[in-house]
Amino acid sequence: MSEPLFVAEALTKRYGSGAAEVVAVRDVSLSVAPGEIVLIMGPSGSGKTTLLLMLGALLRPTAGKLWVRSTLVSGLPERKLPDVRLRQFGFVFQDFNLLSALSALENVAVVAELAGIGGGQARKRAAHLLGELGLGARLHFLPEKLSGGEKQRVALARALINDPAVVLADEPTANLDSKIGREIMRLLQRVAREQGRGVVIVSHDQRLKETADRVLWLEDGQFKAMVTMAVDPVCGMAVEREGAPTAEGKDQTYFFCSRGCRDEFLAERLEAVAPR
Amino acid sequence: MLRLALRNLFQSRVRLGASAGGVALALLLILALDAVVAGMERQLTAYIDGSGADIIVAQGGVRNMHMAASTMNRSVRSRVRALPGVAAVTPIQYATNMVTVGEHRHLAYIIGLPRDAAMGLPPRIVAGVAVPRRGEAVIDRSVAETAGLRLGDEVKILGMELTVAGLAEGTASLVNSVAFIAKDDFLRARGDGSTVSFLMVRVTPDANPVAVAASIEALAGDVTAQPRASFSAEERKVVKDMSADVLTIMNLVGLLIGLAVMALTIYTATLARRKEYGVLKALGARSGQLYRAVLWQAAVSVMLGLGLAVGATLLLAIALPRLEPNLTLELTGGSLLKVSGAALLIAGVAALLPIRQIVALDPAQVFRGGGR
Ligand SMILES: Nc1ncnc2c1ncn2[C@@H]1O[C@H](COP(=O)(O)OP(=O)(O)OP(=O)(O)O)[C@@H](O)[C@H]1O
Ligand SMILES: [Mg+2]
Repeated sequence: MSEPLFVAEALTKRYGSGAAEVVAVRDVSLSVAPGEIVLIMGPSGSGKTTLLLMLGALLRPTAGKLWVRSTLVSGLPERKLPDVRLRQFGFVFQDFNLLSALSALENVAVVAELAGIGGGQARKRAAHLLGELGLGARLHFLPEKLSGGEKQRVALARALINDPAVVLADEPTANLDSKIGREIMRLLQRVAREQGRGVVIVSHDQRLKETADRVLWLEDGQFKAMVTMAVDPVCGMAVEREGAPTAEGKDQTYFFCSRGCRDEFLAERLEAVAPR
Repeated sequence: MLRLALRNLFQSRVRLGASAGGVALALLLILALDAVVAGMERQLTAYIDGSGADIIVAQGGVRNMHMAASTMNRSVRSRVRALPGVAAVTPIQYATNMVTVGEHRHLAYIIGLPRDAAMGLPPRIVAGVAVPRRGEAVIDRSVAETAGLRLGDEVKILGMELTVAGLAEGTASLVNSVAFIAKDDFLRARGDGSTVSFLMVRVTPDANPVAVAASIEALAGDVTAQPRASFSAEERKVVKDMSADVLTIMNLVGLLIGLAVMALTIYTATLARRKEYGVLKALGARSGQLYRAVLWQAAVSVMLGLGLAVGATLLLAIALPRLEPNLTLELTGGSLLKVSGAALLIAGVAALLPIRQIVALDPAQVFRGGGR
């Protein structure tokens, strides 16, 4: 077993204080090995994004430790963190967060420039990487001119440009149709299997389970066993049985993430019974 | 970081227009006010500056014309003329009075000119004669236009009915004008033949006006002799001291409003990108790099705005005098330096304010909006 890329020890994040206090993540420990894909799932608001931000040194934990190799990152002063963010982690944000005034190419190149690579060299590297991700014809497009899947690939290229040891991706397939979603997953798989990086993915999406080496369930800010979950037959999301909208089938009960999915499910069944 | 700053600025025409336009309007306000004041100052001394004299000699202690009276014995003239380094001397009579046309009264410096005056003449003549004979007057064209006067019409100056024999240009400001009459008429109305008000002195090409002025003062006793530029400066100073408070306050208020509008424009433009700068920080940007990006953005906005404002001021300087001939705008280097310096400084501060917060926060707090 190779040495882990990072080790998180009992990370806790508290937002606010007093009556308004929210404990978003509670005592979570995790380590990731090179080439490993870890999937973190959990209901909305369970603390997934908060955890991922702490792992990427973008949010200081209230308590706990984050080690990257032999460095205690959670103890570093702010002025040392840019290097960690640039070289150790590549972050893919929940809503892309591309810089709206920069082209696809510039969005990727600017991060290489932040790491001290000269402008021309940075652009060459960015163009090469975007080409590999199938965006060779979109280099000079502004983000607003890109489709969701294209934006996600630009975001992925941006995360990879400085050759980080770990890629952290927050809902990388949300907002994408299933074909593009699979495509993104294949890319992340390549990042782990061929390039030996650690990949941590946060998602609601059940379909990602097949690609992951490890699936963790986060609920109320803590990792829990995945037993009480059902799969929404319409959207494929994992839902807690308790409190979920349900519909009775022939010999089973279906659970849904929302009323919308249940209504859709019922409407489809009606149509199947009485086609026009 | 410069590229990011430029892209941020030029991405949308609306945003660019809003920030460069906002800055331009703010700076235009300051520059135009400065130019009006500078233009007025120049007009005030246009007569002296264009008089052709190198040195102006007055009664001891008198250093300018405005609100001053100067009386010297006639004999000073010949003593000054005899000094080495003096090429020519023209004595003039001076009083502050009115040019009256029917009901209209125009405040004016009245200059009594000898027939053979070599200096102290109207700087430019647009019609008629330059040196009035007895019974004649040369007045500023704009005064004539306002009063509906033409060559040959009558005006009243120092209580005498005189015929307009010449129209001059560049001898009027918003507050007063210069009118020229014959020395003999002047003396008939005021004083006797034994005194003069000022001596206009031209020095020989090899002489130094400062040195000659000093030797005039040493020789001629109770007189004050100043090189033309000093006399002009004194004149401006006196007028400024008298009207200063209004002008200074107006100018200062304009400066403050202009700078405030500009600061707000830059602040808003930076604030609009706050989230993106947070993302940049999350990607690994250092504080210094963030500061540099916003400072570039502010600096380029100011440059663009300043360019537009200077252009607009120059256009105003051409257009306004057509509407109001006595209103001239003069854009000075000093004003430009002051405005660009202050603008860059204030814009820098205004741009740094929204970023300073970001630098102190975890990047996640910025783009998730949780850190406010
Ligand atoms: N800046 C903040 N201030 C206060 N509370 C916050 C802040 N950010 C998140 N929270 C709270 O922390 C909890 C966890 O939020 P988080 O965004 O990590 O959940 P998530 O699992 O990523 O949800 P989703 O699946 O909807 O993205 C939520 O209850 C949220 O309201
Ligand atoms: Mg989330």
